[in-house]
Amino acid sequence: MQTKRALLLIMMVLMMIAADPVSAHFGTITPSDDIVTQDDDKTLNVQVKFIHPMELHYMEMVKPKQFGVMHGGKKTDLLGKLEAAKGKSPDQDQDFTFWTTAYQVRRPGDYTFYVEPTPYWEPAEDLFIVHYTKVCVNALGLEKGWDDHVGLETEIIPFTRPYGLWTGNLFTGQVLLKGKPVPFAEVEIEYLNETPGNINVVLPPADPYVTQVVKAGADGVFSYAMPKSGWWGFSALNEAEWKLKHDGQEKGVEIGAVYWVYTRDMK
Amino acid sequence: MRIIKFIFVAALVMLLGSETALAHRVNLFAYAEGGKIYTESYFPDGRPVEGGKVLVYDSQDKLLLEDVTDTEGLFSFDIPKVDDLNIVIEATMGHKNSFKLKKSEVEAGK
Repeated sequence: MQTKRALLLIMMVLMMIAADPVSAHFGTITPSDDIVTQDDDKTLNVQVKFIHPMELHYMEMVKPKQFGVMHGGKKTDLLGKLEAAKGKSPDQDQDFTFWTTAYQVRRPGDYTFYVEPTPYWEPAEDLFIVHYTKVCVNALGLEKGWDDHVGLETEIIPFTRPYGLWTGNLFTGQVLLKGKPVPFAEVEIEYLNETPGNINVVLPPADPYVTQVVKAGADGVFSYAMPKSGWWGFSALNEAEWKLKHDGQEKGVEIGAVYWVYTRDMK
Repeated sequence: MRIIKFIFVAALVMLLGSETALAHRVNLFAYAEGGKIYTESYFPDGRPVEGGKVLVYDSQDKLLLEDVTDTEGLFSFDIPKVDDLNIVIEATMGHKNSFKLKKSEVEAGK
């Protein structure tokens, strides 16, 4: 029985590795806390990565083009505060670069962290990838600012308050491209398996379980109910109108609007 | 019949009472700067707590001063003591919350 289970586990891991090409890339911003209360540490550790969330895989990330935080309708540039760090999944044999910063929360209200990465060349898909990624942290009881537009080329505007979510809650958001809703946008959803302290790593029984897919309505609004506690990433992909050169040739650019939320079990 | 009506009204009042407590949760935020302590009192949606009572206690729980918030929910005062301060906001209908301003933060704002 034991050997059978071990074998099954090994097989599943092998399947996961084999399934790698189909898994989705996700820009990621994870703060060390999503709701800062009076008694909490006011210094947030914020990590910026480019990963396959379900498979724990890292991709090399060069310094982003833009990184900041929006609070009270005002944007603060934090790009200069980013420091390079290294990480890898248990089955990756080399380290990859990600970015990290410490941010001091000083006032009440919602803090939306956002990143515009430097275009990532993906040879397997013959295109560049740019994921405009956001996450919101609430501080000191003032629940204001979470639905403000940051003004990125493409972004998800949460229609559900993006913190204080229970496992099983429905997350609703709107996909914007240049400030306008994207009709019938396709949204990919992944669970972040890598969450520190998360021993219950999810092993998807088949490829379609790795990345969930929902489509928005004509107004660009989509919904998804999150079945497990932890971080969930929502990614709406569009092709940019602009091209970038790779080895002298013009290549397409996939621009993604990514949003992360955290859920907790009701108990 | 009368009793049933009474119970119904009582239940409704209780329901409404708890509803307001949730939706009208009050908060106070304080910081020290330039010799003064500034407080801001607000509801979760950002509306100010007008005319809320602010009480300032030291680490021994001794009341140092009290006053009310203005129309913007603000109230500021000279640093009364370099100590761990407990600043309480009391709004109408028993809505109450407090904020602990650490001695180190008071010291830094002297």
